Amino acid sequence: MSETQFSHRGRTGAHEVQVWDPLVRLVHWVVALCVLINAAISNPEGAFHEYVGYVVLALVLLRLLWGLTGPAFARFTAFPLSSRSALNHLRDMGRGDRSVHLSHNPLGALMVYNLWATLLALCVTGIMMGTVRFFGVEWVEGLHELAFNWLMLSVLLHVAGVFIDQWRTGVALAKAMITGRKNIPEDWSIK
Amino acid sequence: MIKWISSHRRPGDTDARRAVLMSIMIVVQVLCVVFYLGDVALDLKEGEGPSHVSLEAFVAFVLLAGIVFFMIELRRLLARVEQTKLGLQAAQGEMSVVINTFFDRWGLTAAERDVGLLVLKGLDNESIARIRGRAVGTVRAQTASIYAKAAVDGRAQLISVFMEELLAAEGEAEELQTTKL
Repeated sequence: MSETQFSHRGRTGAHEVQVWDPLVRLVHWVVALCVLINAAISNPEGAFHEYVGYVVLALVLLRLLWGLTGPAFARFTAFPLSSRSALNHLRDMGRGDRSVHLSHNPLGALMVYNLWATLLALCVTGIMMGTVRFFGVEWVEGLHELAFNWLMLSVLLHVAGVFIDQWRTGVALAKAMITGRKNIPEDWSIK
Repeated sequence: MIKWISSHRRPGDTDARRAVLMSIMIVVQVLCVVFYLGDVALDLKEGEGPSHVSLEAFVAFVLLAGIVFFMIELRRLLARVEQTKLGLQAAQGEMSVVINTFFDRWGLTAAERDVGLLVLKGLDNESIARIRGRAVGTVRAQTASIYAKAAVDGRAQLISVFMEELLAAEGEAEELQTTKL
């Protein structure tokens, strides 16, 4: 009798874990806002477009610095860039593996690094277009356009990925980027 | 669970709010640096004198150093928030929350969490195997994996990890009582 009670109590139920610190969240949403402004609202020829671009550049650099100095979940070591673990993760998903990653999952990590690289490429080509040397140079403009299209595709995939993972694991990822806490459903293990 | 803003204010909450404020400060300061460097770039184009430029370089350096300093402080503050929260939960009898936090940190699987809890309840491998309906060898492997992940050398040390939280929490609990009075 007491033994069944033990095994029942042995379960650790649903709970919440603090994962995203305020700086990570703030940078995420400000960058998202800046991308929205520069993609849809600001005039690409105007000075405002450039200012917003500089802000994005500075925030991405800040986030990269935070990836070296920040708390555990914000660090690069928490979500290393590895195509193999991303493939393994895909396979585990196919098998219905019940485990939750506290930081980014390997596929998410791939997307994070992709977004940073794309944003940096956009900023660098954007700045080059404003210099005397590269003003009106076709390949720079072409690269800026290409990076922009790639960013839009990445953003779509990013949002889709978040919602698919949310549906798959029951962890409210979008909410976690607002409150900073991930809810871990009962019976899911942690990775 | 602790709500972000709740009627029961805990000592850690002030620090958590301070961390949010500090993050905002860092981002705003980064924006200031962007604006300032843009201004410097314009000055350089207009061919300002070397004394003016070196002053601007100094100011830019101080601004950047300020950001780095803020980031290091924020990191410390976040670590303290986490520590205070754990200690208070231990002191206030929310030991299961503390246990969950450590199990999360160590990255235990669902099975290992169950076994870990039973170990903390003081059961030996044979009893755990009987309760869970598994072979003793399986349980032994699971406990070994738990100890490895927690970087302890066995049962006693695993329990001492949680004891330490309780002991560390004593001072904070007293502090909490005095603030309530």
